[in-house]
Amino acid sequence: MEQEAERSATSVASTSEGSGLDPIARTRKLLFRQMLVGIKDGRFFLGNFHCIDKQGNIILQDTVEYRSIRRSSPSPTEQRCLGMILIPSSCRTSCHVDCSIEEQLSLVKLKE
Amino acid sequence: MQPARVEESSSIHHETRNCSIPSGENSVWADVSPLLSAACSGLHEGELIHGDNFNLFAAMSALEIMDPKMDSGMVSAFYSIDEAIESGFAPVPISSDRTVNVESIIDIMDHLLVCEATWHMGHSLAQTVYSCIYVLRPERTSSQALLHSFCRVIRATCRTVVSVVSDTRTNEEDDLFTMTYGLPFSGDEDAKGLSLLNAVEETICRQLRACKATSSKRRALEELEPLQTSPHLEESFCKALLCRIRFRKHFLHTLNCMRRPQGRGFELARKHIASCISELDSVLESAEFLRLDLVENGENKIEERTTASGRHPIGFDPTLNKRLSAPTPPRAIKLLPWKKALDYFVKLLHNLDQICAFSLEPDLDSVLQFVIQFQKSRPDLVSRAHLQLLLVQDGKLYGRDTFLAVCARAVALDVTKDHALQKNEYILQLCQLMINLLKILCANTPWQRRKLGKILNDWSVFRVQMGITVGQAMQQDTSRTPKNGLFIPELASSLTSNNLSFSFRNLGSMEKQRWNIVLTCISVPFRIKLYSTSEYCMVYWYMYITLWKLAERARFRVLIIVNTEERKAKMNKDYHRDMAREDRISLWVLLLQCQTSLAQGLTVMLSALRNRGMCLKSQGPFNTENEKFTQHFELLQKASLPEYDAYQSFAESTSHTRLDYLPVYEYFRDAQKIAKDIKVGFANDPVNLAEVRGLEQVAEHNIIAVNLINQDCSLKVSFQFTHHPYFATAVVRRS
Repeated sequence: MEQEAERSATSVASTSEGSGLDPIARTRKLLFRQMLVGIKDGRFFLGNFHCIDKQGNIILQDTVEYRSIRRSSPSPTEQRCLGMILIPSSCRTSCHVDCSIEEQLSLVKLKE
Repeated sequence: MQPARVEESSSIHHETRNCSIPSGENSVWADVSPLLSAACSGLHEGELIHGDNFNLFAAMSALEIMDPKMDSGMVSAFYSIDEAIESGFAPVPISSDRTVNVESIIDIMDHLLVCEATWHMGHSLAQTVYSCIYVLRPERTSSQALLHSFCRVIRATCRTVVSVVSDTRTNEEDDLFTMTYGLPFSGDEDAKGLSLLNAVEETICRQLRACKATSSKRRALEELEPLQTSPHLEESFCKALLCRIRFRKHFLHTLNCMRRPQGRGFELARKHIASCISELDSVLESAEFLRLDLVENGENKIEERTTASGRHPIGFDPTLNKRLSAPTPPRAIKLLPWKKALDYFVKLLHNLDQICAFSLEPDLDSVLQFVIQFQKSRPDLVSRAHLQLLLVQDGKLYGRDTFLAVCARAVALDVTKDHALQKNEYILQLCQLMINLLKILCANTPWQRRKLGKILNDWSVFRVQMGITVGQAMQQDTSRTPKNGLFIPELASSLTSNNLSFSFRNLGSMEKQRWNIVLTCISVPFRIKLYSTSEYCMVYWYMYITLWKLAERARFRVLIIVNTEERKAKMNKDYHRDMAREDRISLWVLLLQCQTSLAQGLTVMLSALRNRGMCLKSQGPFNTENEKFTQHFELLQKASLPEYDAYQSFAESTSHTRLDYLPVYEYFRDAQKIAKDIKVGFANDPVNLAEVRGLEQVAEHNIIAVNLINQDCSLKVSFQFTHHPYFATAVVRRS
């Protein structure tokens, strides 16, 4: 599956929805959606997915930073607005988008 | 090619850590890391996935996360203040050992002073004063009266300073000074700090008395608990604490007194300022005692330390609330050394004292002269804010005199008699121009330079509009005969417009102000070293033109005064001529002539040196001399000051000067002679006396330099500003 995705990377995305598309076209469909990115020092950033490059650096717009007030504490409690941010792929630990259950299932197919 | 991230085992994966960040309604957070890595590996080098609204230029301004120069939220030692406190970073009490406790408190006090000075120099409050956990959370120390009240007073002081600076907006746009977002200020609680601190001071005073008392009396005072364990050090510790506490107290009082409207608190403020300065002396003296430990341990590099003792203070972490200074990127802060911070406060206090000592005369001339004089010492933000607070208070001069009245007086009109005047648009415009001018003069030097040129343009527009109106009115009213038999016809002509008698003569004093601004505009860049040596020639030429114009105005004013007073004397036999006033004005004229001669001398000398190739010529591939001239004086030229093409005139007048001719000699001699003559007249005026002395020395040294250059053309010439802030002294060297 990964190999196929690689080969079809340069082809123009077809009109059909879901897992039938190559990863680039599917990623393009995620643009402007709410994305939640976790980074190494424990902070999370919630913003609109704006851009990604080959290295995996992500730009988010209208971002809110979430941080916990204790190293031991599990849930982030403090937040502040940051606007446009660039998250280097080297410090990214997780990346989620806000979606419906059905869409989530279609994303799973990528792994199969 | 394998995607970079395949370690994510399941995409239906609810992270426990982010469960508190809500996803949308009926939706979940789905992991897209595998998809993204697959997409990334499919992209070509330099290719991006982005939407239609993507703009690379805008994207460049994105904050880079985890970049220490951009990301102020990067987690360093602690996640939060609470975590720092829980880990024992700022314990209460600081130590169970009483000696260590009191030593640490003194260190905290010293470090806070350093932080405060660094803040005043333009860093954010969050990274300086509020890097102290004891200041951030004063409620924790309520059992420790000394530390608690001290921190409360610090907070109250910061609050007062912030309010003065943000009211006057003397800070530049990019100054972090007034950014206090999210920082705790609790006015009421902090206000109580002062009375608490008084009580603490009283206790320590008793302690100090007890140390000094003889042993018999000591028994009676025994119920006092000593500050620390070694009785022979008690007195020195008491003194070290007392001067620090008293400084804080008097400093806050000074600021509060200065905020009183119409300068009513100035007298009292001066007393507090004097106390502050003497307490700072004691603080400095205490360093010797506090440093004992360190000297014994043989540590050096004490000059860079932020405390008198040289120890690192407890309870400070500038990274804790760095993100509160957002939206700006985090700045690396280099705190001032302790000694420099003390020097800063002494300078600040002297500047504040200068403001408090001002006579508050409702006279534009003296206000402008005072402000320009005040700026010569290059005052910092806080004192400049106080100056502006005084000058433009509720839209009035000193919060007391309306600018309408002040401006009208400056142009010799009586507003009380003439109600139409209050509605006259020119007078109102003039008021606004004056308010703007005063505000600009209170700003920092680079800002001043930029804005002064612009205000000259406003002034020109105003003049032109007024000229048109006056001209029209004169045409309508040709039958009217001039009131004053003055010397220049246009000045003598007056007009009747809207029942308002407004004479051109009145504009004379405004003209003077205009040229005064030009002079400030030209001389201010010397303070920030904006001119290169190759440009001095054109600068002094422009200065010469300006000073000449000013001297002309001043001479004219003397004539008017003499004329009117003679007339008054004829009308009233008992009238005595005000000789003192006349002398003062002619002294002023002479001072201007002295400066004019110096500027002319320097112009001729520099151009002769340039023509001879002995001085740096304006070279370089980028700018011709003409372009440089335009860069420096464009705004002045736009405002028609002077009215002719200045560059052409400059080039013509300086292109033929020759060293062997050197009329320079005479100009400097003239300046020296005038300076000698007027020194006596300024005997009671230390400010102007210093100016005249400086001018005299510049003239003297330049005469010597000119002689030497004349004899030996192989000498190297450089210029210094040792005797005067903007008149250069030539220094001659053999090689």
